[in-house]
Amino acid sequence: MSAYAAEGQVPVIELRHVDKHFGDLHVLKDICLSVQRGEVVVIIGPSGSGKSTLCRTINRMETIDAGEILIDGVPLPEEGKDLAKLRAQIGMVFQSFNLFAHMNILENVTLGPTDVLKRPRKEAREEAMQLLKRVGVESQAHKVPAQLSGGQQQRVAIARSLAMHPKAILFDEPTSALDPEMIGEVLEVMTELAQEGMTMLVVTHEMNFARRVADRVIFMDDGSIVEEGTPEAFFENPQTERARNFLNSIKNH
Amino acid sequence: MQALLTTWKLTAVAFAIAFVLGVLITVMRVSPLKPLRFFGDFYVQIFRNIPGACLLIILVYAFPYLDIIWSYFTCVLIAASLIPAAFCSEYLMTGINAIPVGQIEAARSIGMTFAQMIRKIVVPQALRSSVLPLTNLLVATMLTTALASQVPLRPADLTGLVAHINTHAVGGVTAFFISAMLYCATAVVIGQIGNLIDKKVRILR
Ligand SMILES: Nc1ncnc2c1ncn2[C@@H]1O[C@H](COP(=O)(O)OP(=O)(O)OP(=O)(O)O)[C@@H](O)[C@H]1O
Ligand SMILES: [Mg+2]
Repeated sequence: MSAYAAEGQVPVIELRHVDKHFGDLHVLKDICLSVQRGEVVVIIGPSGSGKSTLCRTINRMETIDAGEILIDGVPLPEEGKDLAKLRAQIGMVFQSFNLFAHMNILENVTLGPTDVLKRPRKEAREEAMQLLKRVGVESQAHKVPAQLSGGQQQRVAIARSLAMHPKAILFDEPTSALDPEMIGEVLEVMTELAQEGMTMLVVTHEMNFARRVADRVIFMDDGSIVEEGTPEAFFENPQTERARNFLNSIKNH
Repeated sequence: MQALLTTWKLTAVAFAIAFVLGVLITVMRVSPLKPLRFFGDFYVQIFRNIPGACLLIILVYAFPYLDIIWSYFTCVLIAASLIPAAFCSEYLMTGINAIPVGQIEAARSIGMTFAQMIRKIVVPQALRSSVLPLTNLLVATMLTTALASQVPLRPADLTGLVAHINTHAVGGVTAFFISAMLYCATAVVIGQIGNLIDKKVRILR
């Protein structure tokens, strides 16, 4: 538990004893996790350990079989308008960017604010331009996604999330689909966000990012949270055999 | 000349109806409600697999027994729009299946409702990627309107008129030939316009 919890603050994201199956496969096993306001939590673990699934349950892109998920202390709505409203408050950045292919960059960023938040078009455009500037792609505003590099597309995707003024942003391997030379520019934007106090849950294999930026590292294996701690503690002195094996395996390539 | 106009008019109105109906049916087929999906699929299975002439004959000659009597024009219009609507929906479904699932997830993740997603993401992308098949469908719709020759439509459509000339005057073959040229010319123009539109709206991936 982080220091904030001791002060009795309500976590932005809280999972209580969450279980999920895909058919016979038990993908999430009794997951308990809370993320405080302004905290950056990095999730690492081998492929298939359930990291993406965990992320996706938080805005109910995946349903759960048992347990509870609370956002700002309020349980996730089941379906319909309330669920849509909640999703608008939790940003999500995907491995494959997922920009809307038929819209230009600016429209990608303004769609949520105008259509979901019902903000005036002009205001939304002005803010979108500022956000695009902040992530360094304002000169591409009138191009379509396919004309941008992967790194630029991912930065637009981050701007699209930010435009919704989310309470937290979930990142699922945001740099895994990128060429090595573009990883840095995306991590840089994420680092700035973290420093500005954004609440973030990040699944990543970028260990240097985890060391520098994370407040807490969570190690998942086989559907369970096996270990959790500060980056120093986790990387310098992992407590479990499984975490040691995992860290060795990624060091070796 | 009048006949060519009738053909164009039938085609335009039939295609407009087919298009709107096709979009509606398609929205039903992707909706989260099972009865709607079932109805949409059912519609397509029926009208994609029924010959136009057959449908027209039912409308003109069988429906009166049910005390449903429509004008010949209406009957031709219905036959020439219900069937293309099914094909329209098939083309749109192909376009929808080409939308990467990630984009739908992204739309959900910013809090869009099902209706918003359909309006802003699904329909626009499906339309843009089905311009060429829809152009072909417009031509096919025009050719389907030749069915009108099977019923005594006034003023007659192109094929109707030609068939009339054929039975009532000499030079019938020439008349068929001229009408074929007129259909062809119209189709070529439609095709060119379709290509232009496609170039403009095609989605870069
Ligand atoms: N929709 C699904 N249906 C069935 N099984 C699924 C589904 N999605 C994921 N799985 C399975 O659940 C397990 C956990 O998947 P998940 O994507 O959460 O892992 P991950 O930790 O994100 O892995 P990676 O590092 O490869 O992204 C895997 O075994 C995967 O095959
Ligand atoms: Mg994953």
